Amino acid sequence: MAAKTHRVLPGFGLALGYTLVYLSLLILLPLGGMILKASELGFGQIVDIALSERSLAAFRVTFGASLIAALINGFFGLIVAWILVRYPFPGKRFVDALVDLPFALPTAVAGITLATLYAGNGWLGRYIEPLGFKVAYTPWGIVVALTFITLPFVVRTLQPVIEDIETEVEEAAASLGASRWQTFVKVIFPAIFPALLTGFALAFARAVGEYGSVIFIAGNLPLISEITPLLIISKLEQYDVLGATALAVVMLGLSFILLLAVNVLQWWTANRHKNNEPLEVTAARAGGAA
Amino acid sequence: MKSTRATQEPRWVRYTLLSVGLGFLFFFLGLPLVAVFVEALAQGLPVYLEALKEPETRSAIGLTVGIALAVLPFNIVFGVAAAWAIAKFDFKGKSLLITLIDLPFAVSPVVAGLIFILLFGAQGTFGPWLAEHDLKIIFAVPGMIIATLFITFPFIARELIPLMQSQGKDEEEAAVSLGASGWQMFWRVTLPNIKWGLLYGVILSNARAMGEFGAVSVVSGHIRGETNTLPLHVEILYNEYNAIGAFAAASILALLALVTLVAKTIVEWRMKKETEMLNTVLAPEKT
Amino acid sequence: MSIEIRNISKRFGNFVALDNINLDIPTGELVALLGPSGCGKTTLLRIIAGMESADQGEILFSGAEATHLHARDRNVGFVFQHYALFRHMTVFENVAFGLRVKPRKERPSDAEIKRRVMELLGLVQLDWLADRYPSQLSGGQRQRIALARALAVEPKVLLLDEPFGALDTKVRKELRRWLRRLHDEMHISSVFVTHDQEEALEVADRVVVMNHGKIEQIGSPDEVYSAPASPFVYQFLGNVNVFHSRVQGGYAEVERHEVSEKTTAFVRPHDIDIALQPLEDGLQATVQHVHPIGPLVRIELQHNSEIVEVELSRERHEALQLVVGQAVWFRPRQMRVFGADQLPRSTPEKQAFLF
Repeated sequence: MAAKTHRVLPGFGLALGYTLVYLSLLILLPLGGMILKASELGFGQIVDIALSERSLAAFRVTFGASLIAALINGFFGLIVAWILVRYPFPGKRFVDALVDLPFALPTAVAGITLATLYAGNGWLGRYIEPLGFKVAYTPWGIVVALTFITLPFVVRTLQPVIEDIETEVEEAAASLGASRWQTFVKVIFPAIFPALLTGFALAFARAVGEYGSVIFIAGNLPLISEITPLLIISKLEQYDVLGATALAVVMLGLSFILLLAVNVLQWWTANRHKNNEPLEVTAARAGGAA
Repeated sequence: MKSTRATQEPRWVRYTLLSVGLGFLFFFLGLPLVAVFVEALAQGLPVYLEALKEPETRSAIGLTVGIALAVLPFNIVFGVAAAWAIAKFDFKGKSLLITLIDLPFAVSPVVAGLIFILLFGAQGTFGPWLAEHDLKIIFAVPGMIIATLFITFPFIARELIPLMQSQGKDEEEAAVSLGASGWQMFWRVTLPNIKWGLLYGVILSNARAMGEFGAVSVVSGHIRGETNTLPLHVEILYNEYNAIGAFAAASILALLALVTLVAKTIVEWRMKKETEMLNTVLAPEKT
Repeated sequence: MSIEIRNISKRFGNFVALDNINLDIPTGELVALLGPSGCGKTTLLRIIAGMESADQGEILFSGAEATHLHARDRNVGFVFQHYALFRHMTVFENVAFGLRVKPRKERPSDAEIKRRVMELLGLVQLDWLADRYPSQLSGGQRQRIALARALAVEPKVLLLDEPFGALDTKVRKELRRWLRRLHDEMHISSVFVTHDQEEALEVADRVVVMNHGKIEQIGSPDEVYSAPASPFVYQFLGNVNVFHSRVQGGYAEVERHEVSEKTTAFVRPHDIDIALQPLEDGLQATVQHVHPIGPLVRIELQHNSEIVEVELSRERHEALQLVVGQAVWFRPRQMRVFGADQLPRSTPEKQAFLF
């Protein structure tokens, strides 16, 4: 008799089945369709499209601006997370809630607002432009938009990690004669570095795909301030579906690599300080035994 | 009087970090948020209200709300089902499944729109079949709903999976051992335990659904009064140099964002209070 | 209801949680499953409850096949290690849960539910907490509510997973006595899992000692303590001194080398005599430490390079007046010898030994 191991809690088959069907229809089928479409082109042609002058320039702008934005957020995000966890100041709860604004504010709203702020007659543009530095309608505008959009990532990944640092460890360092700066460099920073890197990678990944907030402030000049997602759309609008697909496939591949990197980072963060407990205890726990 | 504790930075460092951090937030978050409303009201309240009364703006609001409502039940059912399977059972390929759920976060919204054009568009895989049966998905509302689904479905699942994992299986097992049927267990034990997490996921996915731009833009076709959501309408008005109109519409979305932040903060606070309550170690019982 | 466990095995991946377990639990007995963590005791309990399924073997309830019966239909009361109280329900609703989820035609009326829940809360002496939430209770109170909840459906068997594990010593002692009384009043079979030997010895009618997924010994508390069936049981239940010995003609000869088989002798610290003069067959040692612990005095002796632990009564210690550094002689009153195959070489009747 095939006595299949039964599970006490009900609904596993139903829940997993539904999940798989849903994911297949919504994700696997469309993505598979796209890869199938791209295969009509063949590898060589995809490479040709991706390496054309305009595409290359778009990739350069997209990845360059994303990298700068992620670096800006890595630096300021660390400071913001630090003051939010460690320093008391009036209105802290409000500021803490406000950090999530870029997640909640539709990107189009962010786009037109930032464009207005940094335009030559805008609140910020009118002070910046006389200094000979144009932000709106240049690649720097892209950096500003991406910095806004990805601002919460570093802060939100760092906050819980900074909260988890035991002050006793810092006290121990201080009692052993370390200065505050030495304690930060040798004790605190190594503890939060993986989270900082994760936040950075998440911000970068999000920035690369961003579209809505960028197009309003970028100026969208081919070869100069045109991002890849916009190039995909303009190819689509010119009925160059294959060209758009080729670029999309390349972007998707790069996104996967980034997602993989983020997962590896998170796994590393979670596991690097795990105690090596006896294997059988781990196995027993995994199996639900005492 | 100087009282610097061993684990505190010198005062000048603290003030520098506070000014840099808060200054950064002021320029990048505070100023844009204020600017939306100032620009919308630049020519006074009557003009602002007039801009909102425009029929196209109102139909855009209607469509935005409609799409968000249409997407919600799908996301809830998917989120609960996926979290139930992943958090309460062990099976092969679980981490692959979690990665798959994370995927939309890594895909550019533009690419997300494109994949559905390739599937349902005129030259797409199912395009001819759809045309034959007179069904329109791309450049129509169904396509916008599908694209929004793609963008928003991970939110609830992502929220529920860690929550349900941390709650463990004990309570459900206790319910079953006391004779509860599957549905009784779900409605009486599981759902009350996850209600705040579920609400949190709903708030996040709803904000994204109402604000999504890239993916919806690709599949919408920008047909005024028909396939224009509020974010898309903002773009059209802005490109027509109708700043007041654009910012009036944007202010509605900004208000929505503020409501989201407040709701999110309240729910976070509730969840925190609940976990704190559960973790309180009470004084040993008096005998 | 009696429980029979036949050839039960269970693996988690490569980890053998249970290896061919056979066990009979007669009606009305209170049985302890005792062992270190990872020994499979909780897995066995969960298999009895139907929370886990065995890879092979069967479970019989009152002689009837129950291996594939759903947990819901086993009529088993299960008390979880961390209580698993429904956190969003009051104490009353927690206890009433099992009655409320019964199919409509079996479900008691609201008045009847109220009567039975209050009766159970009275039984666990917590009726004054009916409107509280679990988070407002102490650990001991939660444990008693969990028990009341399990009893509400009138189970034939009560299963408890580390019932006192998370409680502090004082509450634990009281709850032990209370569980014993409850078990006797309810006339049900109970099985509880514990890693605390004192708990098992004090509460249970029978103790099942487990290690590495196998049963090491089944017996009354006195049997497992005074006649351990294996070195593991010896060491798990109480302190023990281990002497490496060799067996000759049924006698353990510690430190004699002209012999056949390598064996190990186990002696409980309270089974050793100390004398100030040379003893026949005794060994000489130096007093290293003297620790008075409550009613006992623990003496550490050094014999060659080995430490020997001895427990003396206060009276005996006062008669001896040992001081650190003093030279004394010691001799076991009782010991048990096991071969390299872990099987006993001495029997309670044949306990003579030679040094």
